[in-house]
Amino acid sequence: MGMLRVISKRGDDRVNWNEQDALAGDAEANAAIREAERIFAHERARGATAFRVEAGKPVERLEQFDPQAEQIILVPRVVGG
Amino acid sequence: MLAYFLLGIIGIIAALCLGLLGWLVYDRYLKWLEANRRANELLRSVLTREQYRQLIKRGYLDIPSPRDPECIYRVPQAQGLVGVIERGRRKMSLCLQPLELVPDADMVVMHKLMIEADEETYLQTANKLTLI
Repeated sequence: MGMLRVISKRGDDRVNWNEQDALAGDAEANAAIREAERIFAHERARGATAFRVEAGKPVERLEQFDPQAEQIILVPRVVGG
Repeated sequence: MLAYFLLGIIGIIAALCLGLLGWLVYDRYLKWLEANRRANELLRSVLTREQYRQLIKRGYLDIPSPRDPECIYRVPQAQGLVGVIERGRRKMSLCLQPLELVPDADMVVMHKLMIEADEETYLQTANKLTLI
């Protein structure tokens, strides 16, 4: 299972997907991945930074959407205050 | 008679307006509560048990610098300046904020992820306030 979390004023918005089901040809799972990918691209275009966060592994910056990621967290654009 | 009727109408309109205002404030409050609940859930999932305990007990989270073992970043629980501590002394403060207002717990998550995954960009982006 993968999860995309977009940090926002609402806390975080989430999209889940199941890569195994998508690989098996499940239409809903494929649609969930496409939706997560679309949100990822949209937020990146707005200046958000993406991180792959997985238990027991160091945090990693992501440039491209990875459906194999356990969890991706999108942080909104930040500026020096 | 007409005056009483008009007063009654004005009273009803005023009561409806107050009711609507109250409902809007209550709705915003519920959304704020829900946002904080979700943010805290995310925070707990990215911190270790010890880190979360430190944050609650002391009001800040120490994040070791990935590039310099003698440097730590002190991230406050509530929004504010991040301290850069070197050899036990505060060397400078950093100010960095998202363009969108987010809950306090999400701010801690953001600092942690940025420091651990891309410290150089984090330092380049933040405004630095050096202690004289």
